Amino acid sequence: MSDCTALRESMPMLLTESLDAASRETTHLHIESCAACSDEWNALRETWQLLDEVPVVEPPPRLKQRFLAEIGQVETVASNVVPFHRRPATKWLTQAAAVVIIAGGSYFAGHRNTTNNVVPTHANVLRGPEVTSIQPAAYSIAETRTLNSKTLSPNIEGRPDIENVQFVDADPTDGQISLGFDITQHVTVSGAPSDKSMVRLLSYVMQSEDRVSPSRARTIDWVRDTYTKTGNADPEIAQALAKVLRNEQHEGVRIKAIDTLNSLAPKVAVTAEPTRDALIEALKSDPNPAVRLKAVEALARMASSGQQLDPESIDMLRQKANQNDENLYVRVKAAEALSTLSKIRPE
Amino acid sequence: MKHLSDQELMRIVQGGDFSPASEIYDRYSGRIYNFALRFLKNAEAAEDATQEVFVKMMKHANQFQGDAKLSTWLFSITANWCRDYLRKSDNKAKETEDVLVQLPAPSDQSPDRTLEQRENEALIKRALQALTPEQREAILLSRYQGLSYAEIAQISGCSEGAVKTRVFRAMETLKKALVMDTRGGDRCLTALP
Repeated sequence: MSDCTALRESMPMLLTESLDAASRETTHLHIESCAACSDEWNALRETWQLLDEVPVVEPPPRLKQRFLAEIGQVETVASNVVPFHRRPATKWLTQAAAVVIIAGGSYFAGHRNTTNNVVPTHANVLRGPEVTSIQPAAYSIAETRTLNSKTLSPNIEGRPDIENVQFVDADPTDGQISLGFDITQHVTVSGAPSDKSMVRLLSYVMQSEDRVSPSRARTIDWVRDTYTKTGNADPEIAQALAKVLRNEQHEGVRIKAIDTLNSLAPKVAVTAEPTRDALIEALKSDPNPAVRLKAVEALARMASSGQQLDPESIDMLRQKANQNDENLYVRVKAAEALSTLSKIRPE
Repeated sequence: MKHLSDQELMRIVQGGDFSPASEIYDRYSGRIYNFALRFLKNAEAAEDATQEVFVKMMKHANQFQGDAKLSTWLFSITANWCRDYLRKSDNKAKETEDVLVQLPAPSDQSPDRTLEQRENEALIKRALQALTPEQREAILLSRYQGLSYAEIAQISGCSEGAVKTRVFRAMETLKKALVMDTRGGDRCLTALP
């Protein structure tokens, strides 16, 4: 039996043809003479072959562009989906404006809460004739600053590059969250999820092109966890998710956006219209059937939770249920949604 | 660039010239992406892994030893990334759903065969996820990347004996999940959780 055990351990190497000739010969001779090991060998071979059924997937082409752009080999190439990049012509100006607003807020907060003197550096001095009159708050570029969201203006102007976004919920019981990011310095904004500044920042991050981390999907996960827990999502969060659904290139992220809209829907009644519009648009024109399927499910759930579905939404569901060239699952789900609607509101 | 060996390309990169990046990416991105995808069962994470592995390769090119195989080095970085990803407990549950996101079936294949293939694919992916990360890493590198046990040992930071045991145990688990442990060889579609 010990022979059998030792030989069976070598069988995977026989499959990869990595046994030396002598061991291979010994193993084959044993398999021919031992019924139990012969069964084992046949089962292993079948398993090995079955593993071939997992197809090889081509990496998305945008991944190469992303990599080459990251190491400075080429510029990011535009795709057929509108990305979240700001317009290049206004990049430096808008970023400067955002720096002023965020740093200005921090200046205000700093003067209210601390007596520390900070030394101006050249790192955030703005250049160009249009902005020479603006006096940016002066902080060291290496400084890490924690700001209270209540002390900040909720308005974010332009589309500043923010990177290394981090989410922290240090104490889940205190009703406070923190969002850190790098702009010209590392900034962490802390406050209640319902603070307008926090809502605006999260909405902005969801729509930003953060090249390092986390991905937009992780941001959406965090938004869903935070606002499902607190139960008071701001309508702007739903609007930002709707924009992600419209503009995001990756279908997995679009699905996450729908799932999050779904989980927030009962708590964000006033957002019904933009959410519904985004879902209808996804159902109408998203190229991925899984996204369209999610959109149908979300619309059905909106209706069953008491939110009004307008005639356009119902027409779209009818159209999808009857569309011969639509994915079968989407058609079935659309028909089910219509059936649910007719039970809720029999005509 | 296509006529240059991996080592020659890496020497150029080590000299501060990133122009071979595209060629190296073309040679290895498919393998790296598919390894990460099968390891993590999450397409977004696999994209992040691929991106970060190649960026790291360029930025730390000097750590590559000229006589080593580039594939072994790249898989080491990838396996490390995937292990770190799984260590973060909140990532464990983020597997991508497979339903309906696959490509349409080839037209020369019968619908029955397509359905069977998709069922098998889903079953195998679930079976792979049921393995320990160490076993999964070993079987993916052995079965799908064709690496030797010595190379896998180098990537996984363990002995060849440990790799042998991991592959054996992985195959035993997969066999039980995918193929009935009898001579009949009927599929056991309900064996997995």
